[in-house]
Amino acid sequence: MDRPQRPNPNPNPDPVVAAYKKDIDRTLIRENLRLTVEERFRKAMALARFADEMRRAGREAKLPRP
Amino acid sequence: MTDFEALLKALSRHQVAFIVVGGAAAIAHGSARLTQDLDIVYERSPANLDGLVAALAEYQPYLRGAPPGLPFLWDRVTLTRGLNFTLATSLGDIDLLGEIPGGGAYDDLLPDAIELHVFQTCCLCLSLPQLIRAKRAAGRPKDLEALAELEAIEEEEI
Repeated sequence: MDRPQRPNPNPNPDPVVAAYKKDIDRTLIRENLRLTVEERFRKAMALARFADEMRRAGREAKLPRP
Repeated sequence: MTDFEALLKALSRHQVAFIVVGGAAAIAHGSARLTQDLDIVYERSPANLDGLVAALAEYQPYLRGAPPGLPFLWDRVTLTRGLNFTLATSLGDIDLLGEIPGGGAYDDLLPDAIELHVFQTCCLCLSLPQLIRAKRAAGRPKDLEALAELEAIEEEEI
């Protein structure tokens, strides 16, 4: 279950940003905030490797089968 | 994939004065968004330009998206003639920025930048309020979504 929303430190919130913000997955943020900075970078690089591999696999899947 | 560790170590090894900005700075602050490149604001003194040239020279820096074979000399003169450079290197993509909207140049950003101790090195990074100001100033649609996440991070940290 989501924790209660914390106060917005920005006194003049932009309505567009506010609209985006309601869909932000805060569980991912909280998970990252528990990591060290180095762990955050290593996680980002691992995700980028995964994304590269998925793109490669996607390209390969679209090739005509022999 | 951009090797953040190798790029930061190369810059630090050559004592380049720089500040991490953009998506990589957002990752440092806890962002879950992926970024493809390392964005830095660099100090533009001749000595620092020499350090920057030396730091990236062995990684074949080239203008990203430029057709192969374009005459591009990676040296201090080239850096002096421009301000912002979007480069591809053998370690991945890196954007060298002389200044950023909402933040200015290296000397403007320095007082509020924070120290990052990462990958057995130390480098400077935009503070979360600086990063939020820069994203707000940039104002592109993709920045608004990133801005929403940064504001959420700020709220989570309170």
